[in-house]
Amino acid sequence: MDKPKREAILDLSKYANERIRVKFTGGREVTGVLKGYDQLLNLVLDEVEENLQTESDSEPKTRQLGLVVLRGPTITLLSPVDGSEEIANPFAQQE
Amino acid sequence: MLPLSLLNAAQNKPMLVELKNGETFNGHLVNCDNFMNITLREVYQTSADGDKFWKLKECYIRGSTIKYLRVPDTLLDAVKEEQTRAREAGRSARGAHVSGAGNRGRGMPQRGRGAMRGGPIRGGRGRGRGM
Repeated sequence: MDKPKREAILDLSKYANERIRVKFTGGREVTGVLKGYDQLLNLVLDEVEENLQTESDSEPKTRQLGLVVLRGPTITLLSPVDGSEEIANPFAQQE
Repeated sequence: MLPLSLLNAAQNKPMLVELKNGETFNGHLVNCDNFMNITLREVYQTSADGDKFWKLKECYIRGSTIKYLRVPDTLLDAVKEEQTRAREAGRSARGAHVSGAGNRGRGMPQRGRGAMRGGPIRGGRGRGRGM
């Protein structure tokens, strides 16, 4: 029925030189400035900061990683940092 | 009713996506592919334990990490209707192809743009009703 889509569903060029948040299989999470990418979703990020202890309630720790190549197949989630924020429960009033 | 046809038809519709790790994402589907990789816009992310929330402008989710997606109930009817229409169109177009007579409905607009060489090609695409 559907012929496989040749072009990627995510246009990463719009995030060029923008800070993005990336999560990996296994739960690690980093933010960094997008410097490059390919069609396999391998990424090059600069000024990378790994966010540690994302699960527990203790204060968030970070680790500076500098310039990094991220392997596409292990990336599970990708979103721009700009326009993202932690908020109060948005579903509370609907219950 | 194929899972990925339903998902394809859900573009621009609100949906809830739960990942294998328990995190959920509420947002509108922007795009998806045959790996079930998806992009959402205006997303509310909820942590696995359900006590942290984030608002994301947009996000990309790898298909292999998805546990399930909840889509609007009304989508089923829309897709069924679309499938029926596609089948009918396919049947009539195929009939026209064989007989050469019933082609009027499609033929006329084509004749309108008859000067263009692209005309017949467009006709060919239309018959397939592929997405």
